[in-house]
This record gives sequence, C-alpha cells and structure tokens, in this order.
Amino acid sequence: MRFLKQSWCAWMVFSVLVLGMATSLSANAQSKPMKHAKRIQLATGAALGPDGRLWVVGLNEQGQMFTQSSPAQALGQWTAPVILNTQQDEIAAEGESRPKLAFGPNGWAVVTYTQPLPKPYTGFVRMLRSADGGQTFSAPFTVHQDRQEITHRFESILFDAQGNLHTLWIDKRDMPPKGAEPKYIGAAIYGNVSKDGGATFGPDYKLADHSCECCRIAMSNTPDGKVAAVWRHVFGEQTRDHGFAVLPGASSVASSSAQGQSKPPVRSTFDDWQINACPHHGPGLAANTSQTGFHMVWFGIRKQDGQDVPGVRYARLNANGEPLLSSVKALPDARAEHADVLVHKQRVVVVWRSSEGSTSTLKAWISDNEGQSFSVKALGQTQGPNDHPRLVQRAEKMLVVWRDTKEIKVYDVSQ
Amino acid sequence: MTFLNDHQINRLMSQFKRRLKFKNFSCLLVLLSFFLGQTLQAQDHKDEHKHSTVTTQSAPARTLSSTHAFHEKSWAQLLKNGPRPAAYLFTTTYCSTCPAAFEVLHQAVKEKGRPVPLMAVMMDASGAKALRHASHFKGMTKMYAFEGFEPEIRQSVDPAWPNVTPYVVLIDAKGHLQKVIGPPPPEMLRRWLP
Repeated sequence: MRFLKQSWCAWMVFSVLVLGMATSLSANAQSKPMKHAKRIQLATGAALGPDGRLWVVGLNEQGQMFTQSSPAQALGQWTAPVILNTQQDEIAAEGESRPKLAFGPNGWAVVTYTQPLPKPYTGFVRMLRSADGGQTFSAPFTVHQDRQEITHRFESILFDAQGNLHTLWIDKRDMPPKGAEPKYIGAAIYGNVSKDGGATFGPDYKLADHSCECCRIAMSNTPDGKVAAVWRHVFGEQTRDHGFAVLPGASSVASSSAQGQSKPPVRSTFDDWQINACPHHGPGLAANTSQTGFHMVWFGIRKQDGQDVPGVRYARLNANGEPLLSSVKALPDARAEHADVLVHKQRVVVVWRSSEGSTSTLKAWISDNEGQSFSVKALGQTQGPNDHPRLVQRAEKMLVVWRDTKEIKVYDVSQ
Repeated sequence: MTFLNDHQINRLMSQFKRRLKFKNFSCLLVLLSFFLGQTLQAQDHKDEHKHSTVTTQSAPARTLSSTHAFHEKSWAQLLKNGPRPAAYLFTTTYCSTCPAAFEVLHQAVKEKGRPVPLMAVMMDASGAKALRHASHFKGMTKMYAFEGFEPEIRQSVDPAWPNVTPYVVLIDAKGHLQKVIGPPPPEMLRRWLP
C-alpha cells in the first residue's frame, strides 16, 4: 500500500515534470531560430526566337542558370536544360527581378540578370551574349560603365527594328552622399545601346531622374521601329505614378550622356498615389499595331469616394504616352497581381496571377476590339509557389509562360 | 496506551525520514520543472528585452545570428502569444524605403525609453542573405523570414495588403492592431505607445 502511494506520487511528479518541460519546449519552438527550407527562385524569362522556338531562362534548384527551348509545333515539350556559365555570380530571380532573354538579327541572342552585390540594395547588370542563336553563350560581363557598389538593378532589354540592343536599368549614381542636401528622390533610369548584339556598348545615358526604386521596367517596340518604355515614377515628393519615354536612338545617346541631363518623362497614369514605399509591382506596355499609341497595365492605389482603392488597371495611351482617360478600366479581379499586356491588331490580351491561399489562378482578359470590351478567362491553376506570368510575342504569335515548382507551362493566347 | 520499544521507534523514525526525503525530492522536482518551464518560456522575451534594452542604447543589430521562420500560421500565433506592445515591419531585400520606416519605430521606442520589441519580417530571403540587411534596421529585436508561398503568408497577415512594403503592424499593450503602408504617422505612434 505504501509502495502504491509512493509510486502514485512519483507518477504525479513525473507527469508534472514532463508537462512543464513539454509546455516550455512547445512555446519555445515557436520562436526558436529554425533551419529554413531551400528557397526556390522561380522568376523566369522567356522569348520567341526568329524561327518560332520558345526559349526560357531561369535558375534550377541548385541556383544554376539554365536555358531550355521548345519547338513552335510542340510548345511545352522542352529540350534538356543547358547550364550557362555565370561564374558563381549570385543571381536575382524572384518576383519583379527575373533573368531575361532577347533575340536580335545575325544570330544574336543575349541573356541578362541582376547580380546582387554584398552591400544591400546594390547590384550589377550582367549579360551573356550569343552569336549562334542561343546555342552557346559567352561568359558574363557587366553592361554599364559605372562600377560603384550601388544600385544597378531591375534591367530590361529589347532589340529595336534596326537591330540595336537597348538596355535600361534602375541606377542610383546620382544619389548625394548620406546626409547631404537636397535629398535625391527615388532613383534614376539609365540605359545604353549596343549596335553589335552586346559585343560593345555606347556610353551610359540617363533617361529619367526620380524613378521608383524596385519595380520592373516595361519596354515595347513602337510602330516606327523605336523602343518605348514605361516605369513607376515619383512625381513631386512622393506621388508614385508612371513615366513614359521613347528611347533615344544609338546615334543620339552620346549627346544626352554628355549633357548628363534628362527630360521629365511623360506622365502616363494619374492615380495620384501618395506613398513613400515600394510597391514591387511594375507596369506592362504594348504598342498598338493597327494604329498609333499603346496599351498599358499597372498597379496603383487611387482615392475613390474618399476610400483608397488598390487595383490593377488598364488604359490606352496616345503616341506620346499620355493616357486616354476614358479608356481606363480596372481589371475584374481584386486579387490581380503582376499583370502584363500583349497586342496584335485588334486583339488585346491582359494576363495576371490571382492568388487565394495556396491556390494561384492564371487569368486572361481578352479583347478583340482594341480594348473597347474584354472577356475574362481562367487559363490555368496551381498550388504553392509559382512565378508571375511572362508574356512573349512574335507577330501574331502570343504566348503566356508560367512556371511553378514542377514545370514550365505554355498557354497560346493568339486566337 | 501503547509503548513502543527501541526497535519500533527506530523503524518509525527511518520511515519518517524516507517519507520526508521523498516529499522533499518531489517538491524539488515540481519546483525544478516549474522553474525550467518558466525559464525556457521567458527565454525569447528575455532575449527581446536584452535587444530592446540594447535598442534604447542604439546598439547595432548585427548581433543577430539567425532568422526565424515565418509561415502562414505564424501571424496568428504571434498575435496570440507574442509580446505586447510590439511592432512588425514587413520588408524585402530590395525595399530601400524600409530602413527609414524602421527608424521611425526605433525613434518612437527610444523616446519612450521602454523596452519594446521591434521585429523585421523579410519576405524574399532568409538566413545569411536576409541578415545582410540587419545593419539597416537599427534597434531590431528579431528578424523573421517568410517560409512558403509569399502571397499565402501575406494573406494570412492581412488579406487586403497589396504587397507594398514597408508594411507596418503596431500592436499596443492591450493587443490592439494598427496597420500602415510606409512610415507610421505620429498620431499612430502615440496610440501605439501612449
């Protein structure tokens, strides 16, 4: 009996001890440093080659940069990935900052990416070039002349109709020393032009002062063979709308660089979003192919009836980049993110990602009357991490490329 | 009345001593478990206080050696069991406007002279890559890092948050929340730390 009493007491004590330890450990586990799962960087660039092959560039699970291609007749049937030599560069491949691929004349192809540097918010724009249509690539090299450990990030590339390669990026070389007045608002858009597919480059030139710091830059070919760009811009002290400019040709770059001046950009949106923050949500731009002007999509927050109304919106711009205000429409999805736009003749396709919990849906808003009216369509769905949709076009061929952790899917939205 | 002989007295005395030893041991164990539980439970808050004390002295945050995982259930857990008052600033590796907003929080805490935990939540990096940014968040108590599908985690914090950073959540002593994109304005800070 005495033994039972003692053993009961012992069990009580033991239980209390275990309970106390368990409680404390469980409470502790919640905030203890944990080993993080390997983060997969899914941001992927895509482009159509001159022969209609679809190419992608991205990072594999080991963080190595690869290209893959898919024949025009069997889109989505990918060749084996080819690993590119990036010389152990760290590569930004997440969200708005993705590796990119572009094809020019003479078998030229280039791959670009941002290499984050050790100091936060800094980076170099790096490029690999090919003279055999993407079969082989050079070692990486830095695109800009300025080599300070500062921001040179969020690059965009496009060949114009003459085969000149235009590169734009966000650059902070104009920032005054810390504490100096007056303060420089935002960052700047800088660029350069290569006449030989990335073998050599003209001088760095400044396209605009006071861009936003961390949104992608959208570029589009114009009907007259030039390149236009639109980016999130800080107007005044902290109004984050969008600036538009047609890029200078290769011959006029030298003079604008020598002056070190930039013209104020055309304002292409009027949300009047007053915010000192980073939206991480760049615009999309596509030239109208049947008449002058452009189609644009962007994210912003605007006041409506005294309320802040966030949303992705669509508008047509005139040839100067000014919005046709009557054409502004909100996308029919409050969860729309990272939309982009494609245009061929009467057909306008706006594509975006819409996430609810772990489910993401790829949606398209399609117009066959130049944006007068649209109908919405769900293209696909996936669970868990996935990239933003990437749009590619060559003439009437319009494709959406969407990568998740398992595969890279292709959707044809041409018809 | 019964009289006990020496042998019986010795046996009773030894039983009494054994019981006494056992009770003492039990009490010791109970006290030990309670003490261990409390110590371990308080560990993070103790750390936070340590950092917060450091915070008020403007010491650099580079003493942090790791990030803490922040998944889709973390926010609910932090609201339930996390420190109060406290502030969370959601940021990314490319959010160059975030350090200035964090400095607003840091100054508010310094002015009050109270050890209030200030947390940064990195949304696009973890571990060493995220901690590279620690020096830009002076006074930071702890750094969390998203682990999982970013939109899902973001929605668990606030379904209406449009992925703009810095996104700041201030939690006052009673657990009331204030949310703002960008640096919190003075009136919001006053409500947070009256």
